[in-house]
Order: sequence, then structure tokens, then C-alpha cells
Amino acid sequence: MAMKKPPPAGDILQGTLDMLILRTLVMGPAHGHTIAQVIEHTSENALEVEQGSLYPALHRLEDRGLLSSEWGVSENNRKAKFYRLTAKGRKELAAATGRWRQMTRAIGLILGESDE
Amino acid sequence: MNFERFMDRKRKDEELAEEIHSHLAHEQDANAARGLSPEEARRQANLKFGNPRGPRERVWRYRSLPWVEDAWRDLRFVLRSLGKTPGFTAIAILVIAVGIGVNTAVFSVINTVLLKPLTYPDPQSLVQLMNTGPQGSFPGANVPKFNIWHQQSGIFQQVSGYDWGGAGTNLTGGDNPEQVQAIHVTAGYFSLFGAPLAAGRTFTTAEDSPNGGHVVVLSYELWQSRFGGKPDIVGRTIQLDGQPYLVVGVIGRGFVTEPVGDLWLPFQFDLASRDMAHYFTVAARLKPGITLPQANAQLNLAADQFRRTYAGALGPQEGFGVVSLQESIVGDTRSSLLVLLGAVGLVLLIACANVANLLLVRASARKRELATRAALGAGRWQIVRQLLCESLVLSLTGGFLGLALGVAGVRLLLSISPAGLPRIGENGSAVTIDGNVLLFTFVVSVITGILFGIVPAISASRQNLAATLNESSSRSGLGFRSGKIRSILVISEMALALVLVIGAALLIRTFVKLQAVDPGFDTNNVLTMSMSISGDRFQKTAGVAQVIRDGTERLNTVPGVTSTAATCCLPLHNAFGVPFDIVGRPKGNAPSTGGGGYFSVSWGYFETFKIPLLRGRSFTEHDDGSAPGVVMINEAMAKQYWPKGDPLQDRLLTGVGMGPVFAEPARQIVGIVGDTHDGGLGRDPLPTMYIPMAQMPDAEIALNSRVAPLWWAVRTSVDPHTLVKPVSAALRQASGGLPVAHIHTMDELVVLNTSRERFNMLLLTIFGASALLMAAIGVYGLMAYSVQQRTQELGIRMALGAQASSIRNMVIRQGMTLALIGVVIGIGGAFWLTHFLASFLFGMKALDPTAFIVTPLLLAGVALIAIWIPARRATRVDPMTSLRFE
Repeated sequence: MAMKKPPPAGDILQGTLDMLILRTLVMGPAHGHTIAQVIEHTSENALEVEQGSLYPALHRLEDRGLLSSEWGVSENNRKAKFYRLTAKGRKELAAATGRWRQMTRAIGLILGESDE
Repeated sequence: MNFERFMDRKRKDEELAEEIHSHLAHEQDANAARGLSPEEARRQANLKFGNPRGPRERVWRYRSLPWVEDAWRDLRFVLRSLGKTPGFTAIAILVIAVGIGVNTAVFSVINTVLLKPLTYPDPQSLVQLMNTGPQGSFPGANVPKFNIWHQQSGIFQQVSGYDWGGAGTNLTGGDNPEQVQAIHVTAGYFSLFGAPLAAGRTFTTAEDSPNGGHVVVLSYELWQSRFGGKPDIVGRTIQLDGQPYLVVGVIGRGFVTEPVGDLWLPFQFDLASRDMAHYFTVAARLKPGITLPQANAQLNLAADQFRRTYAGALGPQEGFGVVSLQESIVGDTRSSLLVLLGAVGLVLLIACANVANLLLVRASARKRELATRAALGAGRWQIVRQLLCESLVLSLTGGFLGLALGVAGVRLLLSISPAGLPRIGENGSAVTIDGNVLLFTFVVSVITGILFGIVPAISASRQNLAATLNESSSRSGLGFRSGKIRSILVISEMALALVLVIGAALLIRTFVKLQAVDPGFDTNNVLTMSMSISGDRFQKTAGVAQVIRDGTERLNTVPGVTSTAATCCLPLHNAFGVPFDIVGRPKGNAPSTGGGGYFSVSWGYFETFKIPLLRGRSFTEHDDGSAPGVVMINEAMAKQYWPKGDPLQDRLLTGVGMGPVFAEPARQIVGIVGDTHDGGLGRDPLPTMYIPMAQMPDAEIALNSRVAPLWWAVRTSVDPHTLVKPVSAALRQASGGLPVAHIHTMDELVVLNTSRERFNMLLLTIFGASALLMAAIGVYGLMAYSVQQRTQELGIRMALGAQASSIRNMVIRQGMTLALIGVVIGIGGAFWLTHFLASFLFGMKALDPTAFIVTPLLLAGVALIAIWIPARRATRVDPMTSLRFE
């Protein structure tokens, strides 16, 4: 009767969301709303960031030291918490991007796409 | 790091809430920019985000430590639920506090006496040299033995002799002379025990040889109290017995000796001495890597060599050996302390059974609550965990109280009755709370909590939900299973209590019998005190005889004094043991005809202590050095060595084989006196010889005065305490300014003599009484509860015509069945367990019929009273009410 939680949906996508967040912040510090917008727009609205996952992900990344944060004033003149990529975060982004490329290539090979 | 996150989560959550708020505002702005009305913009934003609690909860959970959360929740819940039943909580905690308190008390003594290492460097390698023999081994040394032990350089790094400072020394040269404990040591003593130096140096080998001069080393305490801690003390001279002594050093604070010493003097042995009397002890440090068996083997060879060198000094079965110094200091207290630990273990078990019983009752009253929680999804483990948490809260609180109770109790007890325990300091001041005691109490508390909590917790978690929830609350009584468990608990309590009470009864009877022993003399109205006679003028018999004559004369003029004695040893003290020959009687191969206690006394001794003269004559003032040698013996000696003949016809040669110091001409036996119990009230009187002190050989007097003080005793016609001042003053005048110390009445000394027995008896009586009380509460609780649960059944029985008396008898029968089963099991247990008490008993066997008959009756009686109350309540059940009891 132990309280087993169902495995969080999109466990595989978890790492992906982290990577996308880190990638978004390469352009400069941003707050949560901007990050979500950027991801959605850049992906031509193919990816919709589930709002409920964004903030836990941000907090986890900050705890791991990949992001730093501070409160500031947004372009709309509202108070907002801005996240900034740390040096550690940049390294992690490079590593994650490398992993992602390897994986998509491997999947591509299996699906029979030619390696250009 | 996890923990920091955990502690910080509240602030982070607030921040996240604000962040989400900001997110929604931005989304709303974006929506408004697309031309939506403010209303719609907000709605859309909220819709898109979803429930803001979701991410907050996810972040919160990710930041939390589940076990801390759970424990904290359980703890708060437990505190609330215990707070709602203050009566139960108080009783449970009290019972545990008593159970753990007695354990802490006994353990704190055991810790101090047995467990703490000696305070000397590398204490494991310190050993005490022992004389072994068929009757057991004992420490004790003379110069020939010291020499041969000192030569065993293959096993010992260092060897040193020291005495117990028993003779005392008079610190003179001021307005108030003072008797202090002077320990005589050989030069190696300080380095053997690693004594720290506060100033100066210790003795050189030259100073520790004959004619080494008058030098002294002071203790830190004496330096502070008597000499104001002045640093220039080294190099100054102080007066001891009127002689100047050069202070060469001061020992540092915290150097503990057993017993406590005020100053140290060099022994200055004549290493050529052949005297065989034991008057000091020897300790040694083993070489690294040498084990006790190796040392003992080597000492066996040494004993053979000793036997060849000194013919007749060592019997064929006697030899040498070593024991660890700690073991030698602890002595025979180990077994008595371990018995006490066993007894308190039983008390704790009873306390556990008692609290387990209370918890079972509580659990059955909370059945519906637990069932409701289970129905709402609490797992079985969660319920067990919560109940265990409850018992741990109880046991740790009880343990904390018990710690305070135990330590305070043991201090009180030790100050009432020091029990002759070594290493406990003055009135038990060395018995303190240290890490060991804290750890012990904590571990015992946790084990106790699990022990009494586990059965109720498991039985409470194993229940049929539907049945419980459907039952009406008032009928949800004991299930069969928990009823059985409770019966078993009550039976065990009765059995354990019986074992303890029988043990207590045996010790109480021992003590009463000891008190009833006629010591062989009149203890009332006798005042005793010691006078150290270590000065030069007491190295010859004439000097001692003179001070005795002057003192006796002076004391007899003090109003209230009716008789005066001076003696080497008081009755009930251990006297010197000395071998003797009966002149003209063949002794075969034995080195002597026999051995016995050897008291040198003044002529007033028998009159002062009222020891009856059975035959012949007593000593007079005229039995002195110029008169023919005489000796008196006690009845035990007369019976043992003259079963038929007449001792008064015979002459005794004392000190046979003990070397030249004890060589003296034969003495005529002139009188026989009644026996006194000199080895202790519990021992049979030993054969004893009495010698006039004025007739002792000079060398023996010189030795005596180094080993023991001169004791004075006066019989008074008034309360002896009122004469302390005039008697001390008279003795000081008569002796030329010598102070007296160790002033006690003989009655006080008798109490001291039985203090170990009193201590054991007091403790076991306390344990037994608390066990009895807990067992009675246990059986009362069970029966009262069962009567309450059966109200309806009893009502129906009465409605159908059952007599009140038959109802009452039924309840009593059921309760007494449990009690008697417990008593029978307890008797069985006691048959086996009381054997461990055998060596503490006096005047009876471990299977003492009185204890084994009276105690079960007592216990059954107490149980009957405890059952009577609920049984009577059962008869008062009103059938009408009880049938409507629903």
C-alpha cells in the first residue's frame, strides 16, 4: 500500500524542456512568461510549453546552479523574476545539445534517413 | 544541501506564488494586446495556465524530505492525542520514568566503579601483585617479596610498593596539628602511575634508601588548603610528628589515589630485611606485549625461587600472581552490582508490560479512530508507525525524567549508605552523568519504547475495518486476541514481581538477621578515635606504653568516662592474621599449629568494650615489658585448638615463620574471653589472640606504628558525642600535642560495617516495592476494564437471577487465576534466580522457606485487593441500566 506516484508524464521530455529553457536564455536573461513565449514562437507553435511544468523546471535548474535569478521590472513595467544562464548552465547546454544531436542522428539512421 | 532546500521551502513557495502571479499578468497583457476585453484577457490567461497550485505543489514536494515531514506530522499528531488523555499519559510516563530511573541509577554506579578506566596513563598494563593460595588470592607484600618481584624485569617495566596511608601522620608545627594520610611509596611510584607534577620533583633513589633523609611530596589539595598554594613551598621544610621534612615536590591536581592521600613519604626500605609481615602492596606495569598468563607463569617460577631462598615462608600450595589493577580495586563489588543490574532489568520489564497493557486499552478505545484512518487510506505501516511514534514519545519523555530521577536517587542513596564501594568518591560524588550514562539511558529508552509499543501497535493495526466501523462505539471492546495478550502481560508482571519481591525478602531477612547478631561486645556509649603514632618516640615499645599510661590516666579523669582502652584495632575491624605454635604440641609438616587474629591492646580493653571474661584473668596495668609474657585467647580459639584440653595450661609462640621482627619468647595463656565478630557481623568469630601492647617487641611496635594508628576507646556514662571535645583535649595534653581523627561512636561503626548489606537491601526493597505496585496496577487495570466491557453481560446474568456474590466470585476467580498462574511461574523463576543472591545472604539458604511462602502469599493478597475493587463494582451493575447501556 505504499504511496507509489505514477511516473511523471513525459519523463523523456523533461530533459528536453530543460535544454530548451537553457537554449532560450542564451539570448539573455528572461522571465518565465517570455521563456514560454519564445519557445512556442521559435518552434512555430509546434511545441506548447505546459505552464505547470515550466516553473518546477526553472526552480530545479536554479537549484542545480545552471541558472541564477533576480527580481526586476519587465518590458510591460511589471515586477518579474528574471533568469540568467550561468557558466555551468552554458556547459550543460553544450553537453545537452551534443547528446540531443547524437540521439536524433541515431534515430534518423534507424528510420532510414540518409546522413548528409 | 537537500536539507537547506528543505528548510528554505516556505520562502521559495511564496516567491513562486509571486512569480506565477507575474506570469499571469504578462499573459493577460499579451491577451489584452490582442484586443480582448480585460475580463476575457484574465479568463484566458487563467485557463491557459491551469491551476496555479499544481506547480506550487510539485515544487513543494520536490523540496521536501518525506521522512522528516512524516515524522514531524506523526509527532504533532501524537502530542495532540497524548495531550487529550493527560491521565493516561502521566501514568505511562511515570511508570517508565521509574523503570528507567532505577536502571540509570544502577548503571551510573556500575559505570563509575566498573567501566570507567583508571585515571592513570595506559591503565590496562597496570597490575597488582597478589599472593595466591588455596583460600584465594590477596594483595600484600614485604621486603623479600618486593625484591623478588622487582627482579622480574622480563615481564615488568616498573614495580612499585605503596601502603594505604592507614597509620596517618601528624602535621605539626602550627597552632592546630592535624592528622593527615601519608602514603609511603618506593621511588618508582610516581612514574609507575604517571603522576603529574605541579612543582618540584619526586623522590630520588637515594632519598628512598635507609638514611635517605626526611623528604616529602605534597598533594595538590594539601598544598592549597594548608600552605595556601604558595609556589615557594618546594625547598621549605614542614613539621611531621615534630620532625622537619624537606618538601621536594607537589603532585598535580587530579591525581586520584584509592584511598585518598595527602602526602607521600619514601619507604626507605632496608632491602636486606627478612621480615615476612605484609604491610604494603605492590603494583607493576607490564612490559608491552606481556599478557597476564605470561606474567603469572613467570611469577610461578619466582615463587619457587622464593620458597628455596626463605624456608617456611611460603606454603607448598601458595604462590604469586597478578590481576589487573582495576580488578583489584573493584574487588568483589562486581558481582553485587551485576545482581542489582539484573534486578533493575526485571523492574524495567514489568514497567514495559504495564505500559503495554495501558496502550492496549487505549488502542481498543481508539479502535474506531484507527479504523477510520485506515478507511481513509492510511497504510498499515503508517498506523504502526504512528503508534510506535507515540510509544517512543512516551519512553523518551519517561527516560528523560528517569535520568534525573535516577541520578538524584543514587546520590541520595549513596550519601545515606556508601556501601563500601570503591572509586565512587566521597559520598558518591564521583558518580556523575557522563556520555556512557546518557547513551545507556537513551538506548534503554528507545528499546523500551519499541518493546512496549510493538505488540499494541501491531495488534491495533490488524483489525477488520468493516466490523469495527459498524460496531457501536460502546461495545467495541477487547477482541479475543488482545484480551489474551493482556492476560499474558499481567501473568508476566506477577511472575517478575514475585521474583523481585522474593529477592528483596531474602535481603531484608539477611539484614534483620545481621542486626540481630550479638557482636560479642556492648556497642552503646563507646567513643573511638585514632591517633597517629608515626613519630620517632614511638619506635620503641616503652614510648607507646608511656603514652598509653598517660592517656588512660588522663581520660579516666574526664567526667562521664568510665573506662579507657588503647588498641591496635577496634572490634569489627580486620585484625592482623598471625600464625602461632602451641608449645609442646607436635605440628607435623605444617609451618605452624594454626593462625588467628592478633590484637595488641591495653589492659582496659575488655572492660571498655564489655567483652566478657569466661575463664582465667584479664590483663592488668602490671602486664608490661618487665613482667612475664602473657596472652589471652577468645572462645573460638579455645574450642578449635583445645577441644578437650585446658588452654590455661599451655603457652603460645606467636609469629612463627614471620621473620625476626615477630620472634619473641613463648607467652602463657592467662584468660579466655567471649567471641567478637571481627571479620564483619556476617562472619563467624575467628580464633583471636590478645597481647598486652606494653609487652610487644620493639621492632613489632615500630612496624605497627608505620602501618596503623593507635586507637583509643572510652566507655561513657553519658551520650558519647558530648565527650568528643574533652576527650580529644585530654588525649592531646597527655600525648604532648598529638591530634586525634576518625572520631566515631561504636554504634556508628556497626552501621558502617553493615553498609553494603544495607545498600543492597534498600535497593532491592525499592525495586521489589515498585514491582509489586506496578503488578497490582496491572491486574487491577485488566480486571476493571474487563468488568466495564462486560457490563451488558453482567446485567443479563443478574436479570436472569444471578446472585451478586456469584458475580463477584466469578470476577475474582478470573482475576486470581491470572495472578496465581503468575505466582507459580514466579516461584519457579525465583528458585533459579535466587541462586545468584546466595553469596549476599546471611543466616539462611537462597531457598529460604519463609521468603518462598510468605512472599507469594503477600503477592496473592495484594492481587486479591486489586481484583476486589472491580469485582465489587461488577456486583453494583444495575440490570436495567446496563441493558440500556448501548
